[in-house]
Amino acid sequence: MKSLVCITGAAGGLGKAFSVECASRGWDLFLTDLSEEALGKLVTSLTNTYNINVNYHSCDLTDFDARSELFEHMRQKGYNFNFLINVAGLDYEGVFSERSRDQIRTILRLNIEANLEMTNALLRLRDISRTFRIINVASLAAYYPMPVKAMYASSKRFLLDFSRALREELRSQDATVTALCPAGMPTTPECIRAIEVQGFAGRITTRNVGFVAAGTIDRALRGKAVYIPGLLNWMLKQAGGLVPPSLIAHLIGSRWKAAHGKRAAVRPAVQPEAL
Amino acid sequence: MQNQNSDKVIIITGATSGIGLATAKELAGKGAYIIGTGRSAERCAKAEKEIMENCPNGKVCYIRADLSSLTEVKRLAALIRERLASNGINHIDVLINNAGTVSSWYVSTVDGFELQFAVNHLAPFLLTGELLPLLQHSKEGTVIGVSSGSHYRTKMHWKDVLLRKHYNCLLAYKQSKLANVLFATELNRRAGKVGSSIRAYAVDPGLVNTDIGLKGTDGIVRKVWKIRSRSGTPVEQPAHSISFIAAEPAARKTEGVYWKDCTPLKPSRYSQSEDAGTRLWELSERMCGIKFNLNHSEI
Repeated sequence: MKSLVCITGAAGGLGKAFSVECASRGWDLFLTDLSEEALGKLVTSLTNTYNINVNYHSCDLTDFDARSELFEHMRQKGYNFNFLINVAGLDYEGVFSERSRDQIRTILRLNIEANLEMTNALLRLRDISRTFRIINVASLAAYYPMPVKAMYASSKRFLLDFSRALREELRSQDATVTALCPAGMPTTPECIRAIEVQGFAGRITTRNVGFVAAGTIDRALRGKAVYIPGLLNWMLKQAGGLVPPSLIAHLIGSRWKAAHGKRAAVRPAVQPEAL
Repeated sequence: MQNQNSDKVIIITGATSGIGLATAKELAGKGAYIIGTGRSAERCAKAEKEIMENCPNGKVCYIRADLSSLTEVKRLAALIRERLASNGINHIDVLINNAGTVSSWYVSTVDGFELQFAVNHLAPFLLTGELLPLLQHSKEGTVIGVSSGSHYRTKMHWKDVLLRKHYNCLLAYKQSKLANVLFATELNRRAGKVGSSIRAYAVDPGLVNTDIGLKGTDGIVRKVWKIRSRSGTPVEQPAHSISFIAAEPAARKTEGVYWKDCTPLKPSRYSQSEDAGTRLWELSERMCGIKFNLNHSEI
């Protein structure tokens, strides 16, 4: 059996883009996501269109037992992997004091715990005859302290630092780690609305998911440490390094609060939002 | 006129507003049995009411379906078959693939396809394939796609049909409308080869005052569309072209796949290429997981 590319959060906007990109390159896949039904639809069309093998298993990655069950499933099936793309992640936008304990736990479990465990498990199931590639989906938010998205941005900072450190650890083991740091992407109607309320700034920092997925895979294959899609976003990140963090936090805070206020006016209930 | 069309069964997708609704009104007025589709149950109910108010004797019903999902398209086809069977009908005379969309952003559908390609091309392709047996039970099974003059001066981007890497709203729209003409032409070619009586057409509605350009767009696209659509014709004009092909026997006697204002026009040269037609057909069959079953017509 050919070794597989594993994609988490595969049925979400960016996950679908990665799945299609890998499929179009003729790679066999293993997909996981919360929704069995959504996975099933995606798998059917990928199999029909690209003439590849696609395996899938739905899993609630926030749940410890569900993850154990997923890893056991992979072992039993005898899967080997040459690529891991950690896409699954979420954001509860809004001020921190209004977040529930449940939300705090979920964001930590999905954005951090699940990512670490997945990476750990797949390093043990890697195809040793090939270079092993890891892509962690962080965010441009990883470069700044972000009021109103405090938990999300910090969790992405965690992934960015973790990716850089792991990349060094794995250097001698024929494995690479690439952190993807995109700005907003128009993946769901929710995200599109979030981009639109930011007005011009939102629009020019936004890149299409298909473009981002293709570019990220190219960079991962070259072993790049970080990929920031879009020249302007890269410049924003560079500029971020020159300004004191407390000032950045203040500037971003006023901008997000304004955008958040506009959004709340359009849509009263704040929904959890897949990345 | 009343008699000729009184037992015609006509399916119209995207029939809750714009050209689709206007076409449904005109054809219902001519006595055809109309099944319309729309994305929202509320708008479906409103459209049904509006048509019934216009022509109290009309036979109209609506089915809700989101054509961005292939599973939903199949479900819609099953519901149409069921609805017709429960009325003792085993044929469809005309399928009008009118539903269409525009999107500023690259949006993937549940099946992982680009939204405009999925809604504007794959959905009509799959729905036609699914309803083919019923269309072949009609003496004059007709498939009408609402294409556009924007199909000129463009080609299929075979290396990246979904335009994942270089998505552009207008480019994706133009390609999907070209796909409509390629599909109609190829369907005629294949029907001709096996002696099926199915005929396919692509209609150019011209610049029409509808809100299609406002649905999934923002910023510049939205503003340009608002200004452009003001100088467009009212929806009744393209609706009349579509109804003409659907209901007038004269239309069938005229050769020509691409129509505007009740007259056949020359479509783009690329849209008539047999290579491109075959390639798109095979790709679409693969993407939809379907094989068309065109038969010689016995009727």
